[in-house]
Amino acid sequence: MLSDMRGKRALVTGAARGLGRAVAALLVARGARVLIADLDGDEAAQVAADLGEAARPVRCDVADGGEVAAAVATAVDLWGGLDVLVNNAGIEIGKPLVEHGEEEFGRLFDVNVKGVFHGIKHATPVLADGGGAIVNMASVAGLAGAPLLGAYCASKAAVLRLTEVAAIELRDHRIRVNAVCPSFIDTTMVERLVPKFETATGIPFGTLVALKQQRLGAPEEVAEMVVFLASDDAEFINGAHYTLDGGLTGSLL
Amino acid sequence: MTDLLKDKVAVVTCAATGLGRACAQALAEEGATVVVADVDLESARAVAGGLPSGVAAACDVRDDGQVAALVTGTMERHGTLDVMVANTGIAAVSPLLDMTLDEWRMVTSLNLDAAFSVIRHAARAMVATDGGSIVALSSVTGLAGTPLLAHYAAANAGIISLTQSAAAELRDQGVRVNVVCPGWVEGDPVLPRLEAGGLDMGAVVAQTQGRLGTPEEIARLVLFLAGDRARFCTGAVYVADRGMRASLV
Repeated sequence: MLSDMRGKRALVTGAARGLGRAVAALLVARGARVLIADLDGDEAAQVAADLGEAARPVRCDVADGGEVAAAVATAVDLWGGLDVLVNNAGIEIGKPLVEHGEEEFGRLFDVNVKGVFHGIKHATPVLADGGGAIVNMASVAGLAGAPLLGAYCASKAAVLRLTEVAAIELRDHRIRVNAVCPSFIDTTMVERLVPKFETATGIPFGTLVALKQQRLGAPEEVAEMVVFLASDDAEFINGAHYTLDGGLTGSLL
Repeated sequence: MTDLLKDKVAVVTCAATGLGRACAQALAEEGATVVVADVDLESARAVAGGLPSGVAAACDVRDDGQVAALVTGTMERHGTLDVMVANTGIAAVSPLLDMTLDEWRMVTSLNLDAAFSVIRHAARAMVATDGGSIVALSSVTGLAGTPLLAHYAAANAGIISLTQSAAAELRDQGVRVNVVCPGWVEGDPVLPRLEAGGLDMGAVVAQTQGRLGTPEEIARLVLFLAGDRARFCTGAVYVADRGMRASLV
């Protein structure tokens, strides 16, 4: 029971890099057809080419509801429907809260929160045909505060609440909605944050990671969790947030 | 079958029926050698006999000595213990106003003390070899107040806390510890007892979950956490309840 995804049609946002790319690659490896949606259309095309015939690219800014609707329509045109949506696209601001700019704070919420809303809103009419699964990329930053990540933490907490509401509203339409909460994973997003964290905390990032979560997680590990939740193996799981954090949030120290 | 657990040795406690049996079956279908432990040896033999590589063992999880012997016996016979599914306990049903201290102790002991024994003995064996994965079974009753089940719910909250402390202590020794909180599941003996206690469980289930879960659905989550797909997961709580806990109403 290795989360068989044969026959499934998936849309993954922010799929050109990092976690989204790992999710798309694992979905393809498990037999799904995947629409690689990303703000950077060229990168999306490259990733789709790398993943082979089962993957197709589409340029998509999830902050724009019309573009998300168009991405869903592309999946329907290509494959006649959609079974899985992974709302993964997200951006970060790494600054003290009072230094967040009005505009960048707004843009972060447009992508991280409204992007998830747009995905749920536009995929639901299509998923409702035959049932389906939505997996939202939240974060342990949605479970507790972290320095320099004010807007990001708030946006991920919002993703968790959206996940719950969608889960209970859509249950009778046979659509499951769950979230994943990773901690620090080996991605370019975390790489960008490292020097800022070190300046703010005075602790080498490697020391912090070793203490709190033993090591950086791998994008492939997050992908395993996402694909499990997207698969029929998780039929009874709905409205949940599944943490993978090397023990970070489970420990008081 | 994808051989996710080929060459792995797993023990499931209270495995003759219900969730425990479904977990034993799921682990065995993925290639693990599964020790089916239960206080009822005959039933354990029947379950083990139906598995590709099942072995029955008698074990009353209320008896710390028997749990120690279960783990020692597994190590002697198979040389390793890779996965422990710490499944314990049953629920009696009782209004708090009528609950005696004896009943409180009986139920908390059968759940939390037993989980302590199973987790501790398994962890000692895993630390002494090359690590392993422990999956404890708690319940959504450990996450919120539950009428007629004050003792059972408190014990399940205790199992969640025990899991997280164990995970925090054992992480650097290669042992992962996670806990699963199922909602209402088919065949759970607590359901008819709550019904007898005056609750309309059909209506409760319809409103909170839409339907009952199946033991197999919970077993697939246990299987995920038991194996390497979840190698970055430890100290975490995994709810499987079709959205019950997600909803305020």
